[in-house]
Amino acid sequence: MNRGRELLVGFVILSALAVGVVGTYYLQGTNFGQPQVARDILVRTVGQLNRGNSVKYLGVNIGRIEAFGVIGTAVRVSMLLDEDVVLPGDAAVILGPESMFGDWQAEIVSMAEYPRYEFYQLPVDAPPGVLPGYALPEMSRLTASAEQIADNLAQLSDRLELAFNEETATQLASAISNLEAISLEIRELVVQQAAVATSVSASADAALNEVEEASRVARRSFERIEGILSDSQIDTIVANMRVASAGIQAIATDLSEATGGISGTVDRADSAFARIDRIAARIEDGEGAVGRLLSDSTLAIRAEDVLDQLALLLKDVRENPRRYVRLSIF
Amino acid sequence: MSIELLDIHKGFGPKEVLKGFTLSIRDGETLSVIGGSGTGKSVALKHIVGLLRPDAGEVWVDGQNVNQLEQEELYQLRRKVGYVFQFAALFDSMTIEDNVAMGLRRVLGLTESTIKERVADCLHLVDLDGYGVRYPSELSGGQRKRAGFARAIATEPKYLLYDEPTTGLDPVTTTVIDQLIVRMAEQLGVTGLVITHDMTSAFRVSDRVAMLYDGQIRFDGTPDELRATTDPIVKGFIEGRPDLMESAS
Amino acid sequence: MLSILRPVAALGRFVLATVASVGRAGYLARDAAHAVKKVSLWGPHLLPQMMRVGVESVPVALFIATFTGVVLALQASYTFTGAMPLYLVGTLVGKTMLLELGPVLTGLALSGRVGANIAAEIGTMRVTEQIDALETLAYDPVAYLVVPRVVAGAIMFPIIVVLADALGIAAGWVTAQALLDMSSFEFVKGLQFLFDPFDLQFSIIKSISFGLTVTSLGCFFGFHTTGGAAGVGRATTQTVVVSSMVILLLDAFWGVILL
Repeated sequence: MNRGRELLVGFVILSALAVGVVGTYYLQGTNFGQPQVARDILVRTVGQLNRGNSVKYLGVNIGRIEAFGVIGTAVRVSMLLDEDVVLPGDAAVILGPESMFGDWQAEIVSMAEYPRYEFYQLPVDAPPGVLPGYALPEMSRLTASAEQIADNLAQLSDRLELAFNEETATQLASAISNLEAISLEIRELVVQQAAVATSVSASADAALNEVEEASRVARRSFERIEGILSDSQIDTIVANMRVASAGIQAIATDLSEATGGISGTVDRADSAFARIDRIAARIEDGEGAVGRLLSDSTLAIRAEDVLDQLALLLKDVRENPRRYVRLSIF
Repeated sequence: MSIELLDIHKGFGPKEVLKGFTLSIRDGETLSVIGGSGTGKSVALKHIVGLLRPDAGEVWVDGQNVNQLEQEELYQLRRKVGYVFQFAALFDSMTIEDNVAMGLRRVLGLTESTIKERVADCLHLVDLDGYGVRYPSELSGGQRKRAGFARAIATEPKYLLYDEPTTGLDPVTTTVIDQLIVRMAEQLGVTGLVITHDMTSAFRVSDRVAMLYDGQIRFDGTPDELRATTDPIVKGFIEGRPDLMESAS
Repeated sequence: MLSILRPVAALGRFVLATVASVGRAGYLARDAAHAVKKVSLWGPHLLPQMMRVGVESVPVALFIATFTGVVLALQASYTFTGAMPLYLVGTLVGKTMLLELGPVLTGLALSGRVGANIAAEIGTMRVTEQIDALETLAYDPVAYLVVPRVVAGAIMFPIIVVLADALGIAAGWVTAQALLDMSSFEFVKGLQFLFDPFDLQFSIIKSISFGLTVTSLGCFFGFHTTGGAAGVGRATTQTVVVSSMVILLLDAFWGVILL
């Protein structure tokens, strides 16, 4: 048989085999010739990691995944790494997506830099050189988590709705407007009853100081309210409101004792303060009510206004008690 | 009785070619089957080597029922039968030598040198010395026919089947072929079956002549009996007189 | 016959002919399976057939693969520019050549080159009684003619396709560098990205089935040629048409079964 023909057929077959084998290894990203060393990872689950996926350290491709094996409840992942790469002492492996297209990679990191990741707890008898791994939640699991969070949020807002409903908000608003009206009435009352102003200022001086202090604290709280989310701050606000209202109540009582002619006003004030008290209690009971308070910013602004007016009144009464007295003389 | 065809029926599609064809060829004799073109002479011949299978009837060759043989047994039988095709049917991808050697290569125990000698002998026998290295396309029609002849006799078959061996040849070559047929019978004792419509050739080579007409054997006898026949169909055919045949049918 | 019934009869005739054809193919397949055992008959012819079916088909396959690779790269970059990272050109060229165009285009081209050649050769042998002559010389024509061709097809088609795949991808690579704004690194990244060794196996499995299809259909139609030169022409045409259709059917079949 024709020798040349035999050679040609053989050559074609061999070259196709060579192309197939070399091409496969090349496309799998095999390094030819570079010395490599095997390392194992122990990890709870491997996610979408596959044989042949790349292993990276500091973003550089230093090897690939060779094999998987299940050991008890963990997975042993074998890698082939370039021999000359020096890994950090506390090396750990994060398995995660390499790109948006679904291919995964194993990235070698220093465990200290990722304190929040739950790397696999290596058993004490684990052979040296085995790295702990952690597989990032897969996209599907993230979606599931997001759904769960959304569910929780929905439940939360439902409960919030119960604790701090429209009625509560309206009541708070009307209570504050009542306070406004009351402080105006007090001012008018003081003007009308100028004759008794001197005794009022004397007997109520301590109470006024107290109220001033409380209102200042309350206003500071309201000023800070937009940046505040924690419940303890709410407690402070509520407590301050209580103190403030208690102080105002005390003033009103003194006024009524001194004058006796304003019982109707004081009764109205009493009911308003009682209502503030109730609201404060409800805010205390409600979960995360401050969020609602914040979202309805007009409430906060009006409450601040009330306190401002109150403070102005008190300031005026204390600084110029003579004016009120003088008015009463003339 | 060495070759026997018993009541063969064979049709292709709706057309029935053989309608109860019965013929026996005795050992050592040369029998010619004559008949018009398209009457099914070649069809009958192909039944003998199992190239065609009858719709009904039996074919016995060398004491074996051809149609009940396993493939291997059939090939064994075919080694005893040489077949000379109408247009030689040489393998055109091979030289004449290789063509002739084809049958020999299937015989076990032959060395390449024996085969070579045998091929040379056969080519010499058909007067084609020196043509062995040529390809069939380089040969004339008569030469090809002789080469086909050489291929058929190379394995020294017991039976030789000739499918129109002289058709399309000039008178001289026809005579050469006829002499070869006779020589095969006389020197090698080969049993021959010749399909032909060449009457000169038929008279020259045959011990016995049979005529196929309308799917059946119409006449079976010696050349002398054939000459003396009074059957208008047979007479009309051998004398080339369509008027006689028409009036009879 | 009522003229309205003629199409019905034609349909019936067509179905019967097809069924008969499939039946004959079945017989040939059975004979071929039987004939594979006769190694001494077909063995010596395997190498020449591998030469004819395989080696001589390499140039045409490589020609097709080269231009396929070039066009794939160009069209992929046209499609991806601005919408996707350009390295995906490499991915698309690699995947498409291996999974689809390498085997299928080569198969289709070779159904013309190899299938037609076989059908014409065996058909001519049939009408000139050479196949009968083989029979009378005690050669099993199926073992002598069909088996070496089909075996050569099954061996050489994957060989040709692997070379075509490689050259197609290489052509895409060169195109990406020469005609597109891509670095070699990007193209290789795309090639390696999502590559699975199974892609090559898939290519090989497909091409083996195509090789078997083309050669055995060529043998089948050649073997059953009737009617002289016109019959040979008919057998050749049928081989090309039917094997092209079967290649596409097999293409879909493997896609469903293996992917």
